Amino acid sequence: MASMLEDGKYMFHVMLHPFDGFYAVKNVRKRSYTLPTLIMLICGITGILSYQYTGFILNYNPLFAMNSIMIFVTTLAPFLLFLLSNWSVTTLFDGNGTMGDIYMVMTYALVPKLLFDIVGIILSNTIIQEEAALLHSFVVIGTVWFYFLLFCGLCVIHEYSPLTNIVTLIVTFISAIMIVFLAMLYFMLVSKVIGFVYTVIIEWMKR
Amino acid sequence: MKYKWAAILAFILVMMLPSANAFAANTFERNYTYDYWWNAQKSLPAFELVNLIDGSSMGDIPLGSVDDVYVSSNRIFLADSTESRIDVFDMNLKLLISIKLVRDDAGKIMVNPETNQQLMLNKPEGVYLSETSNELFIADTEAGRIVVLDGSTYAYRRTIEKPANMVGVTQFKPSKIVVDKDGQISVVVQGSYEGIIQLNHDGTFARYFGLNNPRVNLVDYFWKSIASNQQKEKMKKIFAPSFNNLTFDSEGLIYATTFDASAKNKVFRFNSKGENVLLQNGFARVIGDLTFGWNSQESQFVDVAVSDYGVYALLDKTMGRVFLYNFDGDLMNIFGGSGNLKGDLKEPTAIAWAGDRLIVTDKTFSVAYLFQPTEFGQAALDAEKQYYNGKWEAASEEYEKTLHLNSNYDIAYTGVGRNYLMQDMYEDAMYYFELGNSRGYYSKAYNGYRNLFIQHNFMWLIIPFVLVAFALFYSEYRYNKRNG
Repeated sequence: MASMLEDGKYMFHVMLHPFDGFYAVKNVRKRSYTLPTLIMLICGITGILSYQYTGFILNYNPLFAMNSIMIFVTTLAPFLLFLLSNWSVTTLFDGNGTMGDIYMVMTYALVPKLLFDIVGIILSNTIIQEEAALLHSFVVIGTVWFYFLLFCGLCVIHEYSPLTNIVTLIVTFISAIMIVFLAMLYFMLVSKVIGFVYTVIIEWMKR
Repeated sequence: MKYKWAAILAFILVMMLPSANAFAANTFERNYTYDYWWNAQKSLPAFELVNLIDGSSMGDIPLGSVDDVYVSSNRIFLADSTESRIDVFDMNLKLLISIKLVRDDAGKIMVNPETNQQLMLNKPEGVYLSETSNELFIADTEAGRIVVLDGSTYAYRRTIEKPANMVGVTQFKPSKIVVDKDGQISVVVQGSYEGIIQLNHDGTFARYFGLNNPRVNLVDYFWKSIASNQQKEKMKKIFAPSFNNLTFDSEGLIYATTFDASAKNKVFRFNSKGENVLLQNGFARVIGDLTFGWNSQESQFVDVAVSDYGVYALLDKTMGRVFLYNFDGDLMNIFGGSGNLKGDLKEPTAIAWAGDRLIVTDKTFSVAYLFQPTEFGQAALDAEKQYYNGKWEAASEEYEKTLHLNSNYDIAYTGVGRNYLMQDMYEDAMYYFELGNSRGYYSKAYNGYRNLFIQHNFMWLIIPFVLVAFALFYSEYRYNKRNG
């Protein structure tokens, strides 16, 4: 618990000093996955909150059809996808980061985005349509910060130059699409097989 | 222990199942409407069948088909293209006269002196009575002319043939016709891509009218952009979609419909420049049924009827349905359907208002149905009437009445909310706007509510600022004092 508090304090240091911070996270400090996992959970919960509690003026979701577990999963799925594809690409591109490193970088980078998102959800209940653009630009600050931290963090843990990092990120994007494609292919094939077995059983039973 | 984890996993999996929705489209319920998220919801019909005109109301005169209907202040005109007749009824649906051979003032049949043939209608598809000039205009389609008769004696007045000064490649086969107060004649020719033909009162050609933009196809656009000029010449030309019907609203603007699959819009309200100024501020654009995907059955509007207070009815030939929209383009109601029962449609052709009642005609059944508003429909129409005339409170009462009868009538929530907003009762207005999914109005109401809130709680909002400012000053003061 005490170590988590220590991590929490350091997390804010990382937000403002990404290069030093992520270097220490990778090489110096004791590794603990409690805080990153907590951040991931908060990220999923923020997704649910933004679905339900964004102010009516900006909230176009059908609340009666809400499924919080589904939202939780769909919020976190892109991060899992990024984790997998980035790791699989960087191992081929001589990146030094492990999957744990990528996980730490991703979650620490998420913190400003989450903060701005949560404040945005609260503020969205107090604005009118004309002020929506202001709120959007406020929330975008957090998102840009997130991308910046992620980029710096990946540079540090993989020991890449920025240009290499951009190349690997592009390849990461392509490989993510391929992973999704393969996953769909797999699930479709499995359902075909299940369907086949089912038909065979039905045929056999009604013979 | 192992079972506990299995149970938790199973629980999470079950929670991930999508919640079940009841779609009216999946039931036998035929009356539905669309909510904000374009899901079909159950609704009440706004109109019910009350009477009809069919062969039995014609005596010995045959009724072949009904292609067009026009309702004047005291008469109903039906165009029958199969029997080449114009049948005139009074408002009690009693046959007054059936016109096939055109007679002059003395009651003698008109004869063309050159060919020595009687002047007989030839498959007329449209009819219009101009009440200002008291003339009955018949679009005599197959003969390619417009026959003008006297409005009360039905005696021959004149014939408008293809104007000598007409340009373009459109064949002069008038199908639907309207005449405005100044005597300008607007004619729709089926399949004409040049637009609505406008003729002057004396029958000379004035102009083509109306802009109907085709949809842009991304694939075509790509190939066009890389094709050479020679290749472009060989490609199939994209013509402007054609109009198939038209009518006037109370302000004298032309409403037109198209069911050309390549058209961008389906319903038009033209200003005098020929631009579409139809308001489409509803949950969806004015396109009828909201169906998408590979088996979507898009609505194809064959006719439009506009009431004096901006509510217009669109007749869809795909499903035989009537769509009611109000002036803002909100979908009010959907009723009717294709089938073989009394009141059903097979090949709908025309629709017209007769007061608050609707006349819908069908070609295959050769019938004209008279629909009257149901209790819900009357309340909905009255609400629009009052709102159109600026009587907001009366409109709000009618809207509340519709909500008692049909809680899925979403635009009524907005209607009630608007009245509260006008009275500065912001909290009630916000409640109703949220139910009506009307975010623009909600924002206005919330603005008022927020201003009041700040006025009432100004002290509590200002105290933190004062405290912070005070703390800053105090720390500065202390710092300066300590350091001299």
